Amino acid sequence: MSDVSKTKQEAVYVYQAPIRIWHWVQAFAILALGITGYLIGSPPPSLGGEASDYYLFGWIRYIHFVAAYITVIGFVFRIYWAFVGNSHAREIFLPPVWRPRFWVGVWHEILWYAMLVKEPRKYEGHNPLAVLAMHFMYVWGITFMIITGFSMYGESTGFGTWQHTYFTTWVNPLFGQSQDVHTWHHIGMWVIIVFVMIHVYVAVREDIMSRQSIISSMISGWRQFKDDRPADKD
Amino acid sequence: MAIIETPNGFNLDDSGRRIVVDPVTRIEGHMRCEVNLDEDNFIRNAVSTGTMWRGLEVILKDRDPRDAWAFVQRICGVCTGTHALTSVRAVEDALNIDIPENANSIRNIMQLSLQVHDHLVHFYHLHALDWVNPVNALKADPRATSELQQKVSPSHAKSSPGYFRDIQTRIRRFIESGQLGPFKNGYWTNPAYLLPPEADLMALTHYLEALDFQKEIMTVRTIFGGKDTHPNWLVGGVPCAIDMDSPGAPINMERLNYVRSITERTIQFVKNVYVPDVIAIGGFYKSWLYGGGLASQNVMSYGDIPDRANDYSTENLMMPRGAIINGNLDEVHEIDLRDPDEIQEFVPHSWYKYPDGAKGLHPWDGITEAQYELGPNLIGTKTNIERIDEGGKYSWIKAPRWKGHAMEVGPLARYIIGYAKGDEYITDQINSTLRALDVPLPALFSTLGRTAARALESQWAAEKQLYFLDKLIANIKNGDSSTANTEKFDPSTWPSEIKGMGFTEAPRGALGHWIKIKDTKIENYQCVVPTTWNGSPRDAEGNIGAFEASLLDTKVEVPEEPVEILRTLHSFDPCLACSTHVMSPDGEELANVKVR
Amino acid sequence: MHETFYDVMRRQGITRRSFLKYCSLAAGALGLSPAFAPQIAHAMENKPRIPVLWLHGLECTCCSESFIRSAHPLAKDVILSMISLDYDNVIMAAAGEAAQAIIEETIEKYDGNFILAVEGNAPLGEDGMYCITAGKPFVDELTRVSQHAKAIISWGSCASWGCVQAARPNPTRATPTHKIPGIADKPIIKVPGCPPISEVMTAVITYMLTFEKLPELDNQGRPKMFYSQRIHDKCYRRGHFDAGQFVEKFDDEGAKKGYCLYKVGCKGPTTYNACSTIRWNGGLSFPIQAGHPCIGCSEDGFWDKGGFYERLSDIKGFGIEANADEIGKTAALIVGGAVAVHAGASVIKRIASKGDDA
Ligand code: SF4
Ligand code: SF4
Repeated sequence: MSDVSKTKQEAVYVYQAPIRIWHWVQAFAILALGITGYLIGSPPPSLGGEASDYYLFGWIRYIHFVAAYITVIGFVFRIYWAFVGNSHAREIFLPPVWRPRFWVGVWHEILWYAMLVKEPRKYEGHNPLAVLAMHFMYVWGITFMIITGFSMYGESTGFGTWQHTYFTTWVNPLFGQSQDVHTWHHIGMWVIIVFVMIHVYVAVREDIMSRQSIISSMISGWRQFKDDRPADKD
Repeated sequence: MAIIETPNGFNLDDSGRRIVVDPVTRIEGHMRCEVNLDEDNFIRNAVSTGTMWRGLEVILKDRDPRDAWAFVQRICGVCTGTHALTSVRAVEDALNIDIPENANSIRNIMQLSLQVHDHLVHFYHLHALDWVNPVNALKADPRATSELQQKVSPSHAKSSPGYFRDIQTRIRRFIESGQLGPFKNGYWTNPAYLLPPEADLMALTHYLEALDFQKEIMTVRTIFGGKDTHPNWLVGGVPCAIDMDSPGAPINMERLNYVRSITERTIQFVKNVYVPDVIAIGGFYKSWLYGGGLASQNVMSYGDIPDRANDYSTENLMMPRGAIINGNLDEVHEIDLRDPDEIQEFVPHSWYKYPDGAKGLHPWDGITEAQYELGPNLIGTKTNIERIDEGGKYSWIKAPRWKGHAMEVGPLARYIIGYAKGDEYITDQINSTLRALDVPLPALFSTLGRTAARALESQWAAEKQLYFLDKLIANIKNGDSSTANTEKFDPSTWPSEIKGMGFTEAPRGALGHWIKIKDTKIENYQCVVPTTWNGSPRDAEGNIGAFEASLLDTKVEVPEEPVEILRTLHSFDPCLACSTHVMSPDGEELANVKVR
Repeated sequence: MHETFYDVMRRQGITRRSFLKYCSLAAGALGLSPAFAPQIAHAMENKPRIPVLWLHGLECTCCSESFIRSAHPLAKDVILSMISLDYDNVIMAAAGEAAQAIIEETIEKYDGNFILAVEGNAPLGEDGMYCITAGKPFVDELTRVSQHAKAIISWGSCASWGCVQAARPNPTRATPTHKIPGIADKPIIKVPGCPPISEVMTAVITYMLTFEKLPELDNQGRPKMFYSQRIHDKCYRRGHFDAGQFVEKFDDEGAKKGYCLYKVGCKGPTTYNACSTIRWNGGLSFPIQAGHPCIGCSEDGFWDKGGFYERLSDIKGFGIEANADEIGKTAALIVGGAVAVHAGASVIKRIASKGDDA
């Protein structure tokens, strides 16, 4: 770090267009999933009158399922893009946990967030702590939600459907029974809500305080740097 | 031991030949019985052992009191619902919840239909084969059976010779197939069976008729509780809302009509089949007036079936309440289930331990800590009991006592108390039965007395079922259709430390649940159930319980075929899953489980 | 001479003609050509009833009670004409040694050819002596008999999953049939429920007798025909669920209108059973129809999934007990608070460092 190069650092193209589209679609899907998911667990006040006049709860669930399918398709695409996209597209799937340097980076970021170091490192893609968080909270979190989600969805599509065959049949006994799957899916929701809160906060904060652009990068794809020192590698 | 006299006046002599019945079948749960016979084959010592244990009370700790009914309902699936009712009453008592009149009527209808069902199934399917010989029924002349039927119950429609011939043919083919199913290995050549063939055929026919009909009786509970076995209950009332004009209400006119139709048919069946059968069979066994045991001394009933809702005073209970001591029918004692000195449980001969071994504990302060250990004179091993040692601990049942007395509970106890109090309906029933059989009052204190009391009580219960149905409808007519009080359903409205108790008269006798609630969770839950009273082992003083007392001095004709033991034990309708209710984990963890 | 299946059908008014038709239908259902119909007819006319040993462990006998409530077929007909219920301590005439002798005799005579029906379960604690039969642990009897059975039926939630005595903390170590060490490797049919529906119990038996094979089971061992759909899938209140019309409190307007019981804790959406299709006691009603939420009695460990009147399950751990929403809201609050504090600190620091720079 001490060895400061003189070369001017240009903006880097980090987030390719498909990733950006995916990110924002995913963001809105998660918002919809969170709201409808919460309502499915704690329904809104009852409506009076005849059943045939309303379909409120049906809509809530319908939105949940649509958003879920969007998430799944997006996630599958995202995995595909990890193979065909640029190197940054792979970051959150494969944190280089075997490299000591990576952990040094994680430690540095922790110190940075604890405000114990003056300056953060500079990264083209995610910083190592973000990679870890993305990997465990998002990649595994969403995988968990997709599996438990399909397991529950398979319960209504019924015996013999692919959702039931490939998910419900093994997920239910694994967790105990359907009620447990519901409970864990519900906890998963909260994990993701908490993740989103941190994610948004950190993105804003980093945008202001770090040495690179964050939010605008997810819109334009370009990472701008606020100084000319070279970027750190994981 | 030779001969000893127990404080409650029975002579025990364990020197003679020991015979063991294990498992005792045709009961609910698991039970063992050992007796000593003298050289004339009279029973001189009896030992009854509860051989199962499930630990519901430990499981209940820290649960939501509103859920407790479902757990305790699973104490017993035969008297299904009675524990649940006791439980919701205990919780309502703790929370001071008043239930609506309609809920009281519906609960009573459910409880009464259980009485009828349980008694009927008990008599025909658990008890009858002690008196009725199906093999002998094959010798009957269907015409003679038809005549007998018309004599004992002129209004029962199914009485033609052809009907009995068909049944007989069916039974014959069944028996001749060589696959005897439930009749296999019965003591069918034993001289203790006294019925003539046509009575055997009639009773056996009713065994089948009752098997078909019993399922109808319980549909009343399916209407109000959604299913049976194990219908649903609710703290604060009943879950089935009533609205005569809504298409979606659980209870409407059609449902009430259904209940009425079943209730009326139930009354008919009990009147035309059950009661006449018991009297007819009793007529052939008039010589068999053994088995009184404690019945002629100490009996007790908590009372049940509150006429008006929320009033559990003796006057408002339609089933008699009180206790009789030393056979003094002139004085019926009041009982107080909350008094720490009245009801106490002892464990010197039970597989539990108390800090102070000889002392008794009131259920609110009950301790449940298992100690499976066998007396020094055991023959066999810990996991292979050949002869149990009643000098040591010998049963999973605790020994409850009322003011120190061993008590008999159950339909006979209720009837004796009702009789002593001069209850008109009960007195009439008892007198007319005694007259029909031409036997004196003491005949009531016997094995047959228990069996007869159950039949008479069924008749009472079926009629009262109709009374409460009418009451329910009248109340709806007056504009009250409420079924639940949910004011205090939300636990956040509860005080932090409360206790309550609920009681019922289960088909098998007095049943009480004691609950302590702390911070909206169950802190302690204790049940003292009928078979704990009747099947109790000895206490510290050596008083014997009702089962053991009733077996004494009975002659066993053929010691290898102890049908007489079964008769008397079955007359109590033992329920072992009920009685052996408390539990603790095994081995070294024992010390940790103290339920207070 | 014994009464066969055919006799029962005849006695119930079924003609020879329709009996034969039934046989060819049965052949079709088994995937056989109609040419097999006479063989099936022959078998049904002559076969001895299959012996059943019905053992009871720790239980409440509600399964037997449910069984005798069967409306079609009547329990009477099952016992007299379809199976040979040679051992069942709840109804058998014999007791003590005479009863136990039947087990030995059946094992000897019908080794590998009888059905073992289990009601309740065996406790493993205290060397099995929490449930004693003939002076010995019940678990020994169960494992021994299982070695000789053709197939095992686990009646009810006790035998299938453990049920109430296995609820936390399972003081006796009550263990469902398939998990008992030493239980024979025989097909086990689970018929869960507390109790199972009467007609489901008898249908499982008649299915085996009629089609001479085990019913098709799901991967947890339950007959697909009764346990592959949830209560919720066929619940008649489903319209109100989709509409968002719920009972908020017992005996409220919604309760009188028959609204969905989801909010008062209905476990119908997570419970596999036939209550909403077959219903109870001859199709008369079922818990939801009578106004009470489903408590999930046919599901594994349903006792430990939180309150019966709560929508969300309690999660035990860390000495506290809370449902997912409570945990989630707390976590979100803590994180939100932390974020606010952190943001505040960041701002202060930034201002401070700006000061340094200047
Ligand atoms: S499965 Fe449940 S319900 Fe059936 S016997 Fe067992 S306790 Fe009773
Ligand atoms: S009452 Fe229960 S099973 Fe029926 S629709 Fe509502 S949640 Fe589903």
